[in-house]
Amino acid sequence: MNGRRHAGGTSGGGRGRGAQGQQQGKDGARRPMFRRRKICKFCAEKIDDINYKDTKLLMSFVPERAKIMPRRISGTCAMHQRKLRTALMRARQLALLPYTSE
Amino acid sequence: MDRKYELVYVVSPVATDDQVSDLHTQIEAVVQRMGGRIEKTENWGRRRLAYEIAHQKEGTYVLEVIHGAGDLMKEIDRRLKVIDYVIRHLVVRVDETEQVVERRRTTRTEQSRRRRVARGLAPDRQPGEGQRGEFEDERDEDDRFEVTEDIR
Repeated sequence: MNGRRHAGGTSGGGRGRGAQGQQQGKDGARRPMFRRRKICKFCAEKIDDINYKDTKLLMSFVPERAKIMPRRISGTCAMHQRKLRTALMRARQLALLPYTSE
Repeated sequence: MDRKYELVYVVSPVATDDQVSDLHTQIEAVVQRMGGRIEKTENWGRRRLAYEIAHQKEGTYVLEVIHGAGDLMKEIDRRLKVIDYVIRHLVVRVDETEQVVERRRTTRTEQSRRRRVARGLAPDRQPGEGQRGEFEDERDEDDRFEVTEDIR
């Protein structure tokens, strides 16, 4: 039970953090689960401005309940999550995106 | 002080097209009087609102890019607040963010060029060179602001 093993899925390479080995569960049970290395979409696609008018892009970060998708799920880096948030809030003010789905 | 602002306002569907264009001329007058200029105006037409505002489900969106001082935008903001068939409006200052984006883009291309030259390659990527990235897809820029129908 030595604590670390590498996340499967995408092979290494590339910069940034990401595929740091994951701690095994506390009872040492093996989880044969692949965890895809998460990549910040904006870094990967080199999208520099996250614009509130770009509803198509923003929509991919609001799941059904219309809440903002958390970083731990989307894999967005901190800087881009901040920018995404302001963009989403602006879009919400203009009723381009919902605050909530009924 | 010349700054660049974006103004978006949503006009209630109750208003007629004349009222919408009248609003534009009104704003134009204010901008000219206070020494600014309108760079462009974009009418997005009637769109579905993501949520009901004042029992309305639709609205006409108009975007204006305005150069001018902060006082000018303050005045426009005040006026739009008063007009009751404008159901939403938003003023965003864009010149600084645009600069930041521009700077980041140039540093990135410069860096990649420098690296490529150091590796003994042509400074720009040749067509058909290298592997396609995982996230690479043909997103054409005009596509980005297209009106999407399914707003939940």
